[in-house]
Amino acid sequence: MHELYIAESIINIIGDYAARDGFEKVNSISLSYGRLSCIESKTLQFAFDVQAKGTPAEGAALDFKILPAVIHCFSCEKDLEVKSHTGTCPSCGGLEVVLTAGTEELKILELDVD
Amino acid sequence: MKVTVVKNVLDANNRIADDNRKLFDQHKMFVINLMSSPGAGKTSLVERTILALRDKYRIAVIEGDIQDTYDADRIAKLDIPVVQINTGGACHIDGNMIREAFPSFDFSKIDLLIVENVGNLVCPAEFKIGENIKIMLLSTPEGADKPAKYPLMFQESAALLINKIDLMPYVDFDLVKAKRDALALNKDLKIFEVSCKTGTGLDGWISWLTKRIDAFKK
Repeated sequence: MHELYIAESIINIIGDYAARDGFEKVNSISLSYGRLSCIESKTLQFAFDVQAKGTPAEGAALDFKILPAVIHCFSCEKDLEVKSHTGTCPSCGGLEVVLTAGTEELKILELDVD
Repeated sequence: MKVTVVKNVLDANNRIADDNRKLFDQHKMFVINLMSSPGAGKTSLVERTILALRDKYRIAVIEGDIQDTYDADRIAKLDIPVVQINTGGACHIDGNMIREAFPSFDFSKIDLLIVENVGNLVCPAEFKIGENIKIMLLSTPEGADKPAKYPLMFQESAALLINKIDLMPYVDFDLVKAKRDALALNKDLKIFEVSCKTGTGLDGWISWLTKRIDAFKK
């Protein structure tokens, strides 16, 4: 459900830029977030579509760049991309593992506008 | 035409949370963001914590729920300043909701503010409110698989209280697995095994919390 709040924030940010740069229509929005940051892209697009009606963001496609989750293992000294963070090294099974990337918060990178 | 933005979508909330924190710091108020699933025992922990620390600190509480004032009524019985925030459907408390509760409090008369978040194991971990520490509860009937299934909250919290430890003989809760998985996600996580019903294990929590508050106030 937090996708509703996030969609509203995106629309507000676009409103600020529309006022500054004078564009009227947004074709697409490129965004990035870490794989483990609890964003569900389909839910977010749905929430966005509903709330963007009547704003410059109406009809814009959300183009997501999902940043990989990476762990560092202190046992085998490897940096490995993982699908989820379990605290175990998928290579050597070591438990001395830290998550070094993957929880980046959602960012707007670029807008394609007319 | 391309417009470069590079803006964190949660910036608006982060900014409000930072402002909240500045205000809390000015008043030397220690703020806890308490999170768990619904029914894990957050309000019971708040009650226990108040009873243990009310002679040492001036305590206030913000209760977050989707609707109703059931929790706030429980806290008000202890004669503690309390505000109920009804999120009206939102799955978490954010920085701005906390802000709206400010006029109800006299910050110069509060040492410890406990914010009981909406019962939810996912979203509350994503929204800062200006807290000093996040604390989470996991109750034994929920199952030991929760750290593995819902990692973010365990990663973000300073302490984990495993509550309803008195129910261990009746539920299949693998305590070793729960602790191992939680610590794998967050090596600095302080874990307490407690029962808010019987009081078991709460001394450790209270003494740890007291040290954190006193260190902050110095």
